[in-house]
Amino acid sequence: MRASEPEPTRPEGRDDQYLDGLLARVARGDQAAFEAVYDNLAGPVYGLILRVVRDPAQSEEVSQEVLLEAWRTAARFDPAKGTAATWVLTIAHRRAVDRVRAAAAATAREQRSAEVPVPHDDVADTVEASLDAERVRRCLEGLTEAQRESITLAYYGGYSYRQVSGLLSVALSTIKTRIRDGLIRMRDCLGVSW
Amino acid sequence: MALRGDRHALTGVYALDALDTAAEAARFERHLSRCQACASEVRGFRDTATRLALAVARQPPPALRTAVMTEVARTRQLPAADDRARHARPGRTLLPRLAVAGAALAAAAAVILAVVLINTQNQLGRTQQQLSQAKQHLSQAQTELAAINAVRTAADAVLVTKVTPIGGKVTVVSSPSRHQVVVTTSGLPALRAGKVYQLWLIGAHGNKIRSEGLLGLHNGRGGPALISGVLPGDIFGITLEPAGGTVQPTVAPFVAIPA
Repeated sequence: MRASEPEPTRPEGRDDQYLDGLLARVARGDQAAFEAVYDNLAGPVYGLILRVVRDPAQSEEVSQEVLLEAWRTAARFDPAKGTAATWVLTIAHRRAVDRVRAAAAATAREQRSAEVPVPHDDVADTVEASLDAERVRRCLEGLTEAQRESITLAYYGGYSYRQVSGLLSVALSTIKTRIRDGLIRMRDCLGVSW
Repeated sequence: MALRGDRHALTGVYALDALDTAAEAARFERHLSRCQACASEVRGFRDTATRLALAVARQPPPALRTAVMTEVARTRQLPAADDRARHARPGRTLLPRLAVAGAALAAAAAVILAVVLINTQNQLGRTQQQLSQAKQHLSQAQTELAAINAVRTAADAVLVTKVTPIGGKVTVVSSPSRHQVVVTTSGLPALRAGKVYQLWLIGAHGNKIRSEGLLGLHNGRGGPALISGVLPGDIFGITLEPAGGTVQPTVAPFVAIPA
């Protein structure tokens, strides 16, 4: 199903620029470019949403909304503000969080809170055990237990920091600091430029 | 790193979308617009979060690709953000600027400023009201779109297309398990003034006929119209009726398809 128009070969290690370029073409209505964006990002989008929302049917629905939003609003993507992957995955995470917080009302939520996510298992569990996943796993291991817990509950669990503070019975300001310190350590460990 | 104080420390929480309310996020975004160091830290954290997302990638169900591409093919894209529109949003940009200007002004100017602020507030109120109405419409449209997609992608979906005697064709996708059908048309003759196409659901024995509303036409295409509560044996039909439609059909349908 790959496009009528040939895609440029994906240059090794330059995914960001490749995706940014694709998104610029998508902004001009290029559906073939969008298929290539889909092939690159649908996996992370779906995986992330599934991780937060848990229910596969709902995750599929939210993923569809997110990918369609990327198509609709591609012209608003500004490479000066961040990479294409970050743009799409930020939309995905926000939508996933909106979904679980909207559904937070009752029991489903309480069940979710019973299972504190263990990042190791999940990363090992991914279909495409990529170098990326391996590196993230190693870097997560490099955090303190407290930092790792706060970050995974907030990001993968979709909990607000107030909820995290409640779940862990730790002061709000402590959670805030743990998340920031943990992210600094993760960022430096992953070699993210900023 | 010149990050001090309580608010700065929220960079991580914000980057993980973990603030508690939209208002809290909006407040922090205002702070970000004035704190270069915070903004760049947030960027780094977001890219870090992206790596966390890439690490949990999963192969989505193949149906997702089909559904997304189908929607893409018929979804209009938005233009790049309009600068005027962005500046017209008072909450994010106008108020802080007014505040800065106000500090520089002498006491005499404060009265004028107050008037401007009140107007801005009123405008903000109206804008928010319009926004919430628009959101409501959007969410209704999204709900309907989701239902339409659900019918189209249902495991038991059956598609029937019929060319009508007056020209054009009508396509009905029905899902018995959902008791719903989705109707689309193409190439139906343009309507003369004072006429509409009306959709009907005709009960199995022809004795119960229910109006399903008027067919919306855009560029010669009609629908998609979602019809719910379909029972086995029901027939779907379209008639040409006077503007506004009628309670029961006044003529025989020019096309009838088992729903």
